Amino acid sequence: MLELRLVQGSLLKKVMESIKDLVNDANFDCSATGFSLQAMDSSHVALVSLLLRSEGFEHYRCDRNISMGMNLNNMSKMLKCAGNDDIITLKADDGSDTVTFMFESPTQDKIADFEMKLMDIDSEHLGIPEAEYHAIVRMPSSEFARICKDLSSIGDTVVISVTKEGVKFSTRGDIGTANVVCRQNTTVDKPEEATIIEMNEPVSLTFALRYMNSFTKATPLSNTVTISLSSELPVVVEYKIAEMGYIRFYLAPKIEEDDEENKS
Amino acid sequence: MAEIETLGILDEIQALVSDKLQVVSYKWLSRNFLVPSNTAKRLLQEFVEKNGTQLEVVYSLSGWLKNNPSAYHIKLILGSKLSEAKEEFSDGCSIQVYSVQACIPKDPAVLWNTEYVQAEELFKEPPDVVNCLRDNRFCGVSNSYVKRNGEGPPASSAAPPLKRVEICAPSRTSDTSLRQERKVEQSNPNPKPDEGKDIKSGSHQAQALKQDGKPVVHKEQVPQLPANKKKTGNDKSSSGTAGSLASMWGRASSKPKPDSASIKTENAVPISNDAQVRANELVEDESSDGDDGRMNFKRASNGEGSNRKRRVVFDFSDEDDDGKDAVNLASPDPPKKQVSVDSKKSTKTLSLESKNLDFDEKKEEKVKVEKEKVLEIVSKPTLKEESGDRKRGNPASNENQCPDKDERNQKDKVSDAAQNVLKKRKVLKTRIDERGREVTEVVWEDDEKETKPGDNTRKDKGDSNTANNVVNRPPAAAPKKSPAFGNSSSHATGKAGNKKAGTKDPKQGNIMSFFKKV
Repeated sequence: MLELRLVQGSLLKKVMESIKDLVNDANFDCSATGFSLQAMDSSHVALVSLLLRSEGFEHYRCDRNISMGMNLNNMSKMLKCAGNDDIITLKADDGSDTVTFMFESPTQDKIADFEMKLMDIDSEHLGIPEAEYHAIVRMPSSEFARICKDLSSIGDTVVISVTKEGVKFSTRGDIGTANVVCRQNTTVDKPEEATIIEMNEPVSLTFALRYMNSFTKATPLSNTVTISLSSELPVVVEYKIAEMGYIRFYLAPKIEEDDEENKS
Repeated sequence: MAEIETLGILDEIQALVSDKLQVVSYKWLSRNFLVPSNTAKRLLQEFVEKNGTQLEVVYSLSGWLKNNPSAYHIKLILGSKLSEAKEEFSDGCSIQVYSVQACIPKDPAVLWNTEYVQAEELFKEPPDVVNCLRDNRFCGVSNSYVKRNGEGPPASSAAPPLKRVEICAPSRTSDTSLRQERKVEQSNPNPKPDEGKDIKSGSHQAQALKQDGKPVVHKEQVPQLPANKKKTGNDKSSSGTAGSLASMWGRASSKPKPDSASIKTENAVPISNDAQVRANELVEDESSDGDDGRMNFKRASNGEGSNRKRRVVFDFSDEDDDGKDAVNLASPDPPKKQVSVDSKKSTKTLSLESKNLDFDEKKEEKVKVEKEKVLEIVSKPTLKEESGDRKRGNPASNENQCPDKDERNQKDKVSDAAQNVLKKRKVLKTRIDERGREVTEVVWEDDEKETKPGDNTRKDKGDSNTANNVVNRPPAAAPKKSPAFGNSSSHATGKAGNKKAGTKDPKQGNIMSFFKKV
């Protein structure tokens, strides 16, 4: 028996919107600690990891660990039927092959049930080791989204370089080049507008903007985004979900040109 | 003279502060314009007196505090709070302008950021370069017992000792320092590139000093090298990105193939790019492909960016062939070389290959109606077809470009079904390779009269069988066509083929290589 009641239903909608373009089908894992998802995109270049801790739900009941395979597009379709202020309750019985979404309007005068078929998905669950990152940049998520959007109109890859001067996003395309530098800026009025750079050593990595852009779909979830970079690791783009958990996107870097040449 | 130059500097400060919104501190000023720090402070003072109302000034107060006379204090104070701050100091504190800026930055670090960057650059210069940080020549505090090794290592110290002495002398006024500067430079009969860089890095230096020809010449020369390097680097990367960009578009659009095939002719745009450019692109693409020698990602560079597609071209004989083919494909060389490779080939492989071809074409016929038409028209044994290709496929000849327009028109006719008049016919060959990618090749068929380069022709006519396979290789035939023709062919491949190929972008890392399955 599984029953999760989320007062802030719009949050689940936003989560869905942020990952459905990246991943088609995924297993949602429910345990006593929370509701989580890990999935790779079809090309195995990016990985999304979602955690909604049980404390964030108004009511959380999960008798035994359960993994529910869902088609995210279908789930998104159902969640779109929920109003932004609705309370969403997720229900599943043990051994059942369906999950039920219940939407209650805030005034309790309308209650809708949507039952969705589950599917069997062979998931490849990856172990993500804890790592020390060379550089961690925290910046306003809208700013990051803007940069990715702008750069993707110029080129298709972005080079993110962190130095103590700041973080630089640059791209190059047929029509020209673009560089955006964000300096560390901690003295703004609102803490969420700050740009904070923690750097142990300078790092510069190349990523496909296409993926970055799909990560920024999570922008509505959080005012700030944290980008963690290490030269030997995938970048982590993390959006914190207030008081509940996080959604993290991992993206494998593009191999540097030089390496490529050496190999060939 | 000093007067004139100071005036220039004041204007520069004005520009920096009001236009570039830069914080101009006396340290930065001193290093950038090569004036002693005291002069720099005076300049700033002068500047503040002239323009003080329009900008923010940070003063540095130094002296003994009234309430704590045991410690010597140096304080940075806003211009507006100068008088209060003065109270705290006992008499005789010194007041100097530390920096001028358009507004007071929120983060105090910005105050010394520019000079920090500047200092870092100076420190990073090669050890044999003399700069103002190394010899400390602009410091207001000087000690005549300390000998400044201003001219650096012996390598560059062609200057007579006299001059070194001069440099050792404390430089108090801008005038003397300037003179010294110039002497240092003039005394160097052969400034090394490094020194040229030095000059370059102090961008205003040249100006301020009004150098004579020599150093300037070097200044010009030095930047050239890096610029060139950069350029080649850029080219490479840009071509790389363009390729993957195309692949992404390819992914996005998934029109049914018949559509794309029919669009072919309409989209084809005559191209007047010179062959050189294309050749370069090909070379670059090939070199960056790394992943598989037998596969070429071609960038069809047509005027319209939206039509760009990545094209995968496979060699006919790939399946049973080996390293030799890979060499052939990857090598951007003109066909002559390939011919030499050809001769090594045995007829056996040839026959094998031709079988393969047959297979491919049957498959293809199933897939595309239009292709069938073309094939019917051709209706020759495969081998002959190939030989035709071969003759035509001559990368070096620019003539291909001109005929292309005609061909395109003719191509239309072909699809209409009127044909025998054609001098060249385009044949699309599509197949699925062993990796599951769809591969489309565009092959030109033309009459034997078509111009051929000496080598190729000879080969073709002489040992028709043997020569066939090799010359037919994409480097010669297919790629040549792709630029002129790019739209059509790449459309076909782009839509279906790239969907898979795109995900296999050779440069894109895989997340699975970082994280292990649980």
